Amino acid sequence: MMKKTTAILVGLGLLLTATTAMAKDLHVLNWKGYGTDEPFATKAFEAMTGDKVVNDFFNSEQEMLTKLRTNPGLYDVVMINAAFMQQALEEKLVQPIDIKTIENYKDIDAAKATSTMLNVDGKTYGVPWTWGLTTIAINEKAFDTPPTSIKEMWNPDHKGRVTIRDDAVEAIQLGALATGQNINDIKDIDAVKTSLAALLPNIRTFWSSENDWNQMVASNQIDLGTYWSGSAGRAKTKFKLPVALAIPKEGAVGWLDTFAIPQGAKNVEGAERFIDYMLSPDFYTKWDETVGAPVSANARAVAALPADSFNRKVMGAPAVADRIQFQEPITDAQREDYLKLWQSLKVGTN
Amino acid sequence: MIRASAFLPGLGRFYIGLVLAFLYLPLVIMAAMSFNASPFYQLPFESTTHWYVALANDDGLIAATFNSLKIAILTTAIATVLGTAASLGLFRYEFTGKRLLQALIVPPIAIPWLISGTAMLIFFFGTGIGRGLHAILLGHVALALPYVIIVVSARLQTFSRDLEDAAASLGASAWQTTWKVTLPLIAPGVIAGGLFAFAVSFDQFVVSYFLATPGQTTLPVEIYAAIRKGFTPEINAVSTIIIVFSMSLMLVVSRFFRFGGDH
Amino acid sequence: MAVTGMTRTNGLKKALPLLLPAYGWLTLAIFLPLSAMVYFSLLTTMSSTTPSLTLANYAAFFSDPLYAVLLLRSVKLALLVMMICVVIGFPAAYVLAKIFKGRAREAIFLIVILPFWSNSLVRVFSWSMVLREGGILDVVLNAILPFKVSVDLMYSYPAVVIGLVHSYLPYMVLTCYLSLQAIDDALIDAARSLGASRTTILRRVIAPLALPGVLAGSALIFIPVIGSFMEPRILGGRGGTLYGTVIEDQFTAVYNWPLGAALSFILLAVVLAILLAAAPVLRKAA
Repeated sequence: MMKKTTAILVGLGLLLTATTAMAKDLHVLNWKGYGTDEPFATKAFEAMTGDKVVNDFFNSEQEMLTKLRTNPGLYDVVMINAAFMQQALEEKLVQPIDIKTIENYKDIDAAKATSTMLNVDGKTYGVPWTWGLTTIAINEKAFDTPPTSIKEMWNPDHKGRVTIRDDAVEAIQLGALATGQNINDIKDIDAVKTSLAALLPNIRTFWSSENDWNQMVASNQIDLGTYWSGSAGRAKTKFKLPVALAIPKEGAVGWLDTFAIPQGAKNVEGAERFIDYMLSPDFYTKWDETVGAPVSANARAVAALPADSFNRKVMGAPAVADRIQFQEPITDAQREDYLKLWQSLKVGTN
Repeated sequence: MIRASAFLPGLGRFYIGLVLAFLYLPLVIMAAMSFNASPFYQLPFESTTHWYVALANDDGLIAATFNSLKIAILTTAIATVLGTAASLGLFRYEFTGKRLLQALIVPPIAIPWLISGTAMLIFFFGTGIGRGLHAILLGHVALALPYVIIVVSARLQTFSRDLEDAAASLGASAWQTTWKVTLPLIAPGVIAGGLFAFAVSFDQFVVSYFLATPGQTTLPVEIYAAIRKGFTPEINAVSTIIIVFSMSLMLVVSRFFRFGGDH
Repeated sequence: MAVTGMTRTNGLKKALPLLLPAYGWLTLAIFLPLSAMVYFSLLTTMSSTTPSLTLANYAAFFSDPLYAVLLLRSVKLALLVMMICVVIGFPAAYVLAKIFKGRAREAIFLIVILPFWSNSLVRVFSWSMVLREGGILDVVLNAILPFKVSVDLMYSYPAVVIGLVHSYLPYMVLTCYLSLQAIDDALIDAARSLGASRTTILRRVIAPLALPGVLAGSALIFIPVIGSFMEPRILGGRGGTLYGTVIEDQFTAVYNWPLGAALSFILLAVVLAILLAAAPVLRKAA
């Protein structure tokens, strides 16, 4: 039933978009302010290829998938978190990529390039672009020495001065780290629940955007909280805020962002060139130095950074690499369970 | 109550002053922060016009602002006309199913916009209406209509049907009665309905968010997307310009156009 | 009432040309899309290619106290916001309609409703400047008061209420003004000349005539506030989880449209039930 409806919907959508598309436009779907819409980058790419980059944005991964579902043929490049690739594949929202056309692909860290999340039946659906950590960041004004343990967030000294993102999966995975569990295979969910319930009194509020986090640090309302590594870099580089990343001994959650080409894309050639440019050391060094970026998946691009840069020195250190637990796909049912648990915790009905 | 004491009007004016202070407090801050150097609303205040310069160079934001204005004005015009007509229909005539029609005004307001937006996206996509400014207009008018109908109907309840009956018995046609008798008396309600429609459309971000396409977007959509990564005071700057502009426009209008409906 | 030219018999036929454009538009842009949502609310899942029909999503509401607790919380919030708006807004509308005259009245009337032409997100962010520790309210109060106070309302229930009252107050002022302004001053003068006291005039003359406006304003505030999610999320902090935010989660955090849609229609049913229950009481009062 759904399948048939979807087929009709897709057919109608194709008819509609076919007549409105303009040649040589390159439609990119990504978070706002996340590399692809940097003016220097779109200008450079346009000068290089003649293709005009048109950015569209999403505010949650679910919204990104909805936009792909309901706009077949509109987008040429989409940025997908590797953990969501499986869902995009199941719904046939993305197409295989001819990696031979992407020159920088050969320099991508092999473990990431060959990830089973991105490669199915010998075909590549996702090109690793950047990776980073969901870990803790501190307000430097609140600490003389940065904390080494994630438990610092539970410390009563920080009552009402801690923030975490209002995201069920992130919250549960934080609880898993704090209770010494594997984030992708949580055995003792009750321990996670108890741990998060104990954390809640310390929470000032939940953040949902970088801007929230940065404003709270700027007005000195928080001491520490979970944050994304690229965002912490941007807070420091671009906004000169007293923010520092800490990678606790209990570990940190790693995520991998990739580029994919949606099913029905009209400018596949442009998409391939764009992905290649996004991976280039040229783009990456400028992005990291002037704006602040997560770690490029391209080893050659990272090597082009100054030796003392955070993304090369800290994120590249073996001691850090050992502590990272990369996110694996989560089933819908699991996600719904996590959400339910998280909502109950927040409301206190559990 | 009105002339009984000279004290009461003074108290009344003071009270209006307080209400206005409450209503304008965040707007004043919004405007002040558009001249503050810190992108995070940090104090001490450091004066700058940087955000206005940045705004002038931000073609996307300016285009979105004009799209918003265009859609809000069209929405206001369409929703006010259709909504007033529907209110008159509901007010004048008795028929079976009237209560149902009145109840049907509730869903567009009560269903969270997120659900309406998703529903519209799927339906417009499935029927070939598609996304874009035309789809946004279609959605905005539908969301604004209930507001117009509720406000105009409330005004109609203060209006006596006898007046229409009298006009009709004197030989006026239905059109003449509407134009010459009914509309002038309910004009404040119609204008208020229009103001509501404008506000609903101009501030609507959820439904627009689903129906906008790259390049065909509105101001609230841009703002909503911007808060994820760096909500710059540019947004404050454009909001300040809009408020100052509409305030001047309104003050001019109120000088030349009596809509308060003194009778 | 005598049936004259504007007959009320055979009403639908005459009403149709007036009603059709508006309801046709609503059908195309709201009712048909929402029908699709009703269908989704009956599905077991979105992601499978072979979903089946079920009432499980509606049953979910009753199987876990979470949703009922949150819905009750949202209803209470909406009632509180609505009542505060009546208490603040009605006197303001009264002053506007009966004390101010001529152009000054029109100008002030416009100035009252202007704030809700600004962007709600920007307004909410501005409130955070006012309410937080070391914010405007804190600084001003400490400058005025002889003793030291610490004002930190940010990320609390009062912050959500303040933000919502600010957003919706103009609705109440506007609708109350419309019905108060329609009351003929001569009527009030007549009552007074007949020896009616101020409270009697307010109770017997003004209140009944102003009631449609108060009711319209209350409905326009109560209905959307129940489903609100943006203000609670930004201003409410830890306590900002409400019925609207839980619905939002079903669409943004997980791909569970069936549950999100079912929760929305339960919300709609509750709103309609409350309006229906209130109708006879209010008619009696009038």
